[in-house]
Amino acid sequence: MDNLKQALPKAQKNPPPAPVVSSSSGSLPSASKLHAAFSGYFPTWCPGCGNFGIWTAIKSAFSKMKLNPDKMAVVFGIGCSGNMNDFLWANSFHALHGRAIPNAVGIKIANHSLPVIVIVGDGDCYGEGGNHFLHAARGNHDITVIVHDNRVYGLTTGQVAPTAYKGFKSRSTPNGIIEVPVNPIALAVSQGATFVGQGFSGDMAHLTQLLESAVKHRGFSVVNVFQPCVTFNHVNSYSWYRERVYKLAPENHNPEDINRAWEKSLEVEEKIPLGIIYQVERPVYTDSLPQLAEKPLVFSEPVTDLEMLINEFV
Amino acid sequence: MVDITVKIGGEAGFGIMTTGLLLGKIATRSGYHAFEYSEYPSLIRGGHNVIEVRISDSEIYSQKSKVDILLCLNLETFNLHASEVKDGGVIVYDEEKIAQDKIKKTAGNISFVHVPFNRILQEQKLPTVMLNNIALGVLMHLLGADLEILNNLIEENFARKSREIIDKNQTAAKVGFEVSQKSLPQGSSVKLTPLKDALPKMYISGNEMIGLASIAAGCRFYVAYPMTPTSAVLHYLAAKSGNSGMVVKHAEDEISVINMALGSAFAGVRSMVGTSGGGFALMVESVSLAGITETPIVIVMGQRPGPATGMPTWTEQGDLLFILHSGHGEFPKILLAPGDMEEVYKLTLEAFNLADKYQTPVFIIVDKYIQEGHQSVDKSKISEFKYPVDRGKLLSQEDLLKISAYKRYLDSPDGISPRAIPGMENSLHQANSYEHLEDGHTTEDAGERSKQVEKRNRKAATYLKQDFQMPRIYGDDNAPLTLISWGSMKAPVLQAMKESASHKFNLLHFNRLWPLDREKLKLLLSGLKKTLLVENNSQGQLGQLLTMATGVEFDEKLLKFTGRPIYPEEIIAKVNSIT
Ligand SMILES: Cc1ncc(C[n+]2csc(CCOP(=O)(O)OP(=O)(O)O)c2C)c(N)n1
Ligand code: SF4
Ligand SMILES: [Mg+2]
Repeated sequence: MDNLKQALPKAQKNPPPAPVVSSSSGSLPSASKLHAAFSGYFPTWCPGCGNFGIWTAIKSAFSKMKLNPDKMAVVFGIGCSGNMNDFLWANSFHALHGRAIPNAVGIKIANHSLPVIVIVGDGDCYGEGGNHFLHAARGNHDITVIVHDNRVYGLTTGQVAPTAYKGFKSRSTPNGIIEVPVNPIALAVSQGATFVGQGFSGDMAHLTQLLESAVKHRGFSVVNVFQPCVTFNHVNSYSWYRERVYKLAPENHNPEDINRAWEKSLEVEEKIPLGIIYQVERPVYTDSLPQLAEKPLVFSEPVTDLEMLINEFV
Repeated sequence: MVDITVKIGGEAGFGIMTTGLLLGKIATRSGYHAFEYSEYPSLIRGGHNVIEVRISDSEIYSQKSKVDILLCLNLETFNLHASEVKDGGVIVYDEEKIAQDKIKKTAGNISFVHVPFNRILQEQKLPTVMLNNIALGVLMHLLGADLEILNNLIEENFARKSREIIDKNQTAAKVGFEVSQKSLPQGSSVKLTPLKDALPKMYISGNEMIGLASIAAGCRFYVAYPMTPTSAVLHYLAAKSGNSGMVVKHAEDEISVINMALGSAFAGVRSMVGTSGGGFALMVESVSLAGITETPIVIVMGQRPGPATGMPTWTEQGDLLFILHSGHGEFPKILLAPGDMEEVYKLTLEAFNLADKYQTPVFIIVDKYIQEGHQSVDKSKISEFKYPVDRGKLLSQEDLLKISAYKRYLDSPDGISPRAIPGMENSLHQANSYEHLEDGHTTEDAGERSKQVEKRNRKAATYLKQDFQMPRIYGDDNAPLTLISWGSMKAPVLQAMKESASHKFNLLHFNRLWPLDREKLKLLLSGLKKTLLVENNSQGQLGQLLTMATGVEFDEKLLKFTGRPIYPEEIIAKVNSIT
């Protein structure tokens, strides 16, 4: 039975420390140093692309929270959004198109002490990987999904995304898309997400704060971020959004009230809410796994009595 | 010598499978070897189910065609299978359910035992679910076995139920025993007298054995989406998660299944998935993802007849080449195909070491025949098997602290790079589905691309040097004919060899199907006198694979693709027709 213990990674038998930078000298690196630590190569996005704002907000939120690039996991989808894998440097898994969420769920189950962040496009999350999105919300897996909502497929050069408004003309829908758009907010709320927020890459300060709240939230958190694609979407531009978005505040919105969340989810065209639309508490998936009560799965020792299991067949 | 086959047939939902299972267990507890084979349609209720249990005092490998005792719980069983009963055999039936005149038509020296199952249930006020215990009581008498063994099994199985339920089940068994005693006092010609010095045996299905082995291997995460014939791995591991501490997840679809497992494997946890052809088809893109990200994963691929939904509850070896070629792009994968319960155990254990060592997908290829059938195996072969866990180049925290700039995909002579897991200090890295530099960043540079392709390909060469084993030869080395087969079809071939007791042929059995050592195999195959390929598919897929790898062609083929396994008798007949 000693053999089984070798199946554990050789080092840590205890859960790694809380998700803050641990440094041997005892002093924590400053937020600006951390911001630099998270920076990878300079992005290859089109100049003016909304992804720059999201990238900056993510790095600001992570460094304000003193997350440690070693002690977290970021899963990237495939798209212009997912290309952030080389611009944001943290322990990461660059997934397949549509499959980032199940990778993230697996990482979280394996080591629930790691903050797990998913960075995906709207095509990736609501189209190709739509099924995973529903089920991860149901499970209240404690991961944060940041969706770059540009209403197009950027990387594959401008086809329509499931978030596009009816009639949107694109390279795959020259006569305008026939379907109505998915409603990411209503979808997330209805399927059991416990944090649903909406941000705008043109308002980095607000987005930074929103992302911080989302990552801090214990449970499945989704942030749908409006991200102008300056190359392939000439309708939903920065100014288009600026004319429509408004911020939710305690005076005008109670995120714990699901009925108010429904109402806000229907505001999709004339005026569009930004901020925390819905937030409730519910046990997260790993809370219900007694196997993980003491330590993360990756460091847990199998408690099996193999002889007993063998004897069940005798 | 004892070699007896009991066949039990009836409508689904009458506990026929349980009856067979318990009979096998009674036999193994009495010291005998047992082998079970079942046939059932893809229905929950109704339809025709049969299970056969072969019991012997010497080693047995597979089912056979002739039946010693046929227990009919419906007329269909009689109509379909009475002709399989051999001379001197016994047919058990309910005369109140199956008309007398129909039964009389069978000729030959066959004894009939009349058991009014339904009337017994009514008279004893027993629920229908206890029918199987009446049947077992009947069999206990016919086989001259000790009713006490059955009573003990009932006690164990219902340990958590009330005394009343246990008593009722035991009453059912007792009545069955007495009724058959009255009807045929001398019983059948075979007696299952407990064998004195027999080694303790397990009676276990392939699915359970895969589950047990994965626990023994330290697998901590099993993810699946139900699909026959592999669902029972999920059921077993889920039921045992309290003992094993494994997290067992039924995910929303097979695409999610494999991606969750890859996520957890990336985070350092030994992970396994299980499915059948259709579900595996959905996973294929991520097999390729495992290949390029170099993430270890064990995939249980339980074959059943396709294409598409095919024949869900039947057996076939039709997916070998599909698995071999699964996943776009070029990357190494390791294919294992165990041929019996002991091999299932050992190769499953090994699969986890190989996955960790080579950081690439490893397949355990099985099929309905070996997954759902129960077989006896000497307990000591399992419990005394020593398994050293090898996690390959997985870096510890101390290792990582000694490295200045960690490179996840460091080029190396054996093709394998040191692997860190997220969460440790100095572990910063990226597992990248794009082609990447040694440090994990995306690249499209020609030189870096070739370097990584060659690095990944080199793992196969390392495997051939360090872990490949040649196919095993069973039987007489100098036999004039060599049967070539793989995976589960080892069973009927070995049985045929035993039954024909001839030195006419031997068996070359492959349980490691890829990578293959082309040179050594070419030498071996081209030196064979005459060859007969034996496969449970229509296209001779192992034959194609071996020809592709070595250029050697095969003389004769025995291919069966009816959804049924190959029978030893069919092998003997084929051998006789070509020699
Ligand atoms: C299975 C699969 N299908 C298609 C593609 C091609 N592909 C890459 S990115 C993408 C769409 C990207 O759109 P989105 O997810 O919205 O990301 P964006 O580029 O807009 O950020 C597609 C179709 C792929 N990589 N994999
Ligand atoms: S195509 Fe659109 S989304 Fe992609 S980088 Fe350019 S502007 Fe950004
Ligand atoms: Mg998009």
